[in-house]
Amino acid sequence: MKHKIKDKIISIGFATILITVFIINIIVKDKTISNTERRKLAQFPEITIKKLFNGDVSNKLENYATDQFLARDYLRELKSFYNTNIYRQKDNNKLFEKDGAIYKIEYPLNINNIIKSAEKIKEVQEKYLKNNQVYYAIIPDKTYYLKNDDHLKIDYQTLKQTIKNKLKNMKYIDIWNSLNLEDFYKTDLHWKQEKLQNTVSVIQKSMNLEQIPTKYNKIEIGDFYGAYYGQLAATNILADKLYILNNETIENCITYNYETNKTAKVYENPNTADKYDIYLSGATPLISIENRDASTQKELLLFRDSFGSSLAPLLIENYKKITLIDLRYISSTLLDQYINFNNQDVLFIYSSLVLNQNILK
Amino acid sequence: MVFSSITFLFYFLPIVLVIYYITPNKYKNIVLLISSLIFYFYGEPTYVLLMFFSIVITYLFGMLISYYPKQKKIFLILSLFISVGLLVYFKYFNFIMENINLWLAHKIDFVYVALPIGISFYTFQMISYLIDVYRGQAKVQKNILKLAMYVSLFPQLIAGPIVRYTTIEQQIENREYSAEKFALGVRRFIIGLGKKVLIANVLANISTNFLASNDLSVLYYWMYAVTITLQIYFDFSGYSDMAIGLGKMFGFEFLENFNYPYIAISITDFWRRWHISLSSWFRDYIYIPLGGNRVNIFKFIRNILIVWFLTGLWHGAAWNFIIWGLYFGILLILEKLVLSKFLQKIPKFITRLYTLLIVMISFVIFNGEETKQILQNIGGLIGINNIPLLSQESIYYFKSYFIVILIGIIGATPIVKNIVINKKIYKIANIIEPIFLLFVLVISTSYIVDGSFNPFLYFRF
Repeated sequence: MKHKIKDKIISIGFATILITVFIINIIVKDKTISNTERRKLAQFPEITIKKLFNGDVSNKLENYATDQFLARDYLRELKSFYNTNIYRQKDNNKLFEKDGAIYKIEYPLNINNIIKSAEKIKEVQEKYLKNNQVYYAIIPDKTYYLKNDDHLKIDYQTLKQTIKNKLKNMKYIDIWNSLNLEDFYKTDLHWKQEKLQNTVSVIQKSMNLEQIPTKYNKIEIGDFYGAYYGQLAATNILADKLYILNNETIENCITYNYETNKTAKVYENPNTADKYDIYLSGATPLISIENRDASTQKELLLFRDSFGSSLAPLLIENYKKITLIDLRYISSTLLDQYINFNNQDVLFIYSSLVLNQNILK
Repeated sequence: MVFSSITFLFYFLPIVLVIYYITPNKYKNIVLLISSLIFYFYGEPTYVLLMFFSIVITYLFGMLISYYPKQKKIFLILSLFISVGLLVYFKYFNFIMENINLWLAHKIDFVYVALPIGISFYTFQMISYLIDVYRGQAKVQKNILKLAMYVSLFPQLIAGPIVRYTTIEQQIENREYSAEKFALGVRRFIIGLGKKVLIANVLANISTNFLASNDLSVLYYWMYAVTITLQIYFDFSGYSDMAIGLGKMFGFEFLENFNYPYIAISITDFWRRWHISLSSWFRDYIYIPLGGNRVNIFKFIRNILIVWFLTGLWHGAAWNFIIWGLYFGILLILEKLVLSKFLQKIPKFITRLYTLLIVMISFVIFNGEETKQILQNIGGLIGINNIPLLSQESIYYFKSYFIVILIGIIGATPIVKNIVINKKIYKIANIIEPIFLLFVLVISTSYIVDGSFNPFLYFRF
C-alpha cells in the first residue's frame, strides 16, 4: 500500500471514528440500568459552580461517560474474550468459567473481616437474644465444592473455625455436607431452592424442629441468567432454569416489608432485572412471612443475606411467623424499634462471601 | 483528565480536533490555549489559578531578563526563587514538616497541602524557558498568550515529556500540517494507548495483589519486581507516546523521551534512554553549570550526587525516591570511575543483564513506601526469612499473567521493530497496519469501558 494512501486512511479513519462515536454518544438516549451488570448506570451530573470547583462534576462525568458509552455491553464482552483467549488469563474481573459454570474468586481470606463479622453476630446476640436459643450456619461459596481446580480460593476450614471460635455460646449447624456443586446455579452465586431439601432437613434436625413431610409443587419460572453471567460478559454458557417450590401453605402466606409497608405473596414476579428476586421480592432490610395456616405459635428470627430468601419459605411450615433481617441493609442498633424480641428461635445464616467482607452493620 | 479515558478519547479530543482544524491558522494557538486550560481545569479546578500565576510570573521575568541585561542575573535568581519556591511549597511542604516533626517533642500542627497535577513538569518547562532567555539561547516571548499556550499545552502538560521552549519556539509561530504527520501522530497515540491500557494497567494487578498478599514466595517477589519494572516503563513511555502523537496531530514535534531503555548496556546508557527529557534537563541546567565532569574527582562526585539527589526528589516527596536517585548516582560514579573499563570487555548480554538487574531493583525501591518494605521486597528475591520458593497465589498469577508479561518483555525491546523492517515482512506489515491500529484502539476502549484502574503513575510527580 502506498504510504500517502495509508496515511490518509489512518488519519481520516481515526478522526471519523472519534467524531462518529462522539455524535452517537450524544444522540443516543441514556440508559438508567445495566441489565447485564445488575446495577444503576451513572447519569449526567448536576453542574453547579461549587461542584465544578470541588471536582465532583469531573469525577461524575468520568463515570457517566464510561457507563453510557456506545455499545458498552459488546465492548465488555470483547474485553472478556480478549482477556480469556488472547491473554489467556485465568479469570476476568475475578470471574472464571469451569465445566459450564461461572465462579467468582473470593480471595484472599480476610481474617480481620471474618472476626468482625462474627463479633457483629455476637454483639446482636448479646444485646437482644440472651434468652433465646440461637443457631448459626455458614453457607460456603460454590467454589468450595469445585474439585480439581487451581483457581485461588479461600481456606474455608479456617473461615469456619474462626467463626466457631468467636461464637462459642451459639449452636453451629453444619450444612456443608448437605450441599454439592449441582445445588448452585451455573450463572449465579446462589443456591437453587429446589435443591435445598437436604439442607432444610439438617437445619430442622439441628434446631429440634418437627420434620414435616412437606410436598411441594416445583414450578418452572423460566430461563435465569444469574449475576455472574452479565459480569463475566462473554460466555457461551446456557441459562439456568429458575424454579420455585410452592404449596398451599406457602401460597397462603403473606409477607410484610417493613421498609415499604407493603404486603405481598412469598413468590411474586419481580420488576427487577434479577429473576432471583422472585423469592420474597429481593433484597430488603426487614421482611416477615406470616403463615396463616400454622398450627403453631412459634416464630423464627432469620438473620440472613440473599441466600435466606429462598430458604425461608421452606421453613415456614414450622413457624407461625418468620422475620428475616438483613444486617447488610439495617443497623443492628435499630432492630428493637421493629422487632419485639421474646422467645423466638433464632438462626443466623450467612454466606462465606458476606462474612469475608465485613459488611454487617 | 487522562488520555486513556472515555472523556478524553471520545469527547474532548474529537471536539478539540474539529475546532482546531476549522480555525484559521492565526487563531489556532488560542484554540490550543483554551482547550489546554479546560483540560487542566477538568482535573485541577482550583490549581488552574496557580498555573495562571506561574505563567504571569514567568512572562514578566522573561521580559525583565530580556530588557534589562545588566540586571538579568538578579531577575533570573528572583524568578527561580519564585518558581522553585512554589514547587517546594506545593510538593515538598508536607514531607519537610513530617520530617521536622520527627525530631520535635512538641509536634507542629500543619495543614496538608495538596499536590497540583503536573506542577513538576510545567515548573521545569518554565525554568528552562527563563534560563534559555537568560543565556540568550531563546528569544523572549512577548505574547503572553503564546507563552501560556507553551506552558499549558495539554498533550505534555501533566506528565511530560518536558518540552523545552527552544524545541517548539519556531513551532509556536508556524507549524506544518500534513496527512503524513497526522497519521504518524495517530500511530504514536494508539500505540501509547495500547501500552498503557493493555499492558501497564493489566500488569498493575500483579503489584496490587502482591502488596496485599499473605502468601508470598520467591517467585512472587520476582514477578513483582519484573512486572513493576515493565509496568512503569509501559505506563510512562505509553504516556510519552500519546503526548508525542497528540503533538504531531496538532502540528508539533516533541523530542523522544524513551529509546528502549531495557536494552541498555550500562546504567549510563540506561539514563540516555530513559526519561530523556528529564535527564537532559538536569544535565543542561544543573550538572553542566556545576562543572559537569570537567572538574576534579571530588567535585565530580559532588555534582553527580547533587544531580541524582534532585532527580530522586523530583520524582516525589518521599525518602524512597531520594534513595532511588542516590542509588543511581552512586552506581553512575562507580561506572564512571571503576566499572566502565570492565563493562566494555564483557559480552553485551551480560552487561544488559547487569543493567536490567540494577534497574529492576531500583524500581522495587521506587515503588516501595517504607524502608522496611523495600528491604523485604529486595530480600525476597533471594529468599531471605525462609520464604518458600513457590506459593499457591504466585503460581496462579504466574500462569494467569504469563502472556502479558511475555508481551511486555518483547515489547520493551526493539525485536518487533527489527522484524517489521525486514523487506518481506514490511510489505505485509504495511498493509495490515491500519487494521492493527484499529484493533488496538477498539480493544483498549473495551478495557477502559470495563475497567476501573487507570491513573497514570507519573501524574503524581
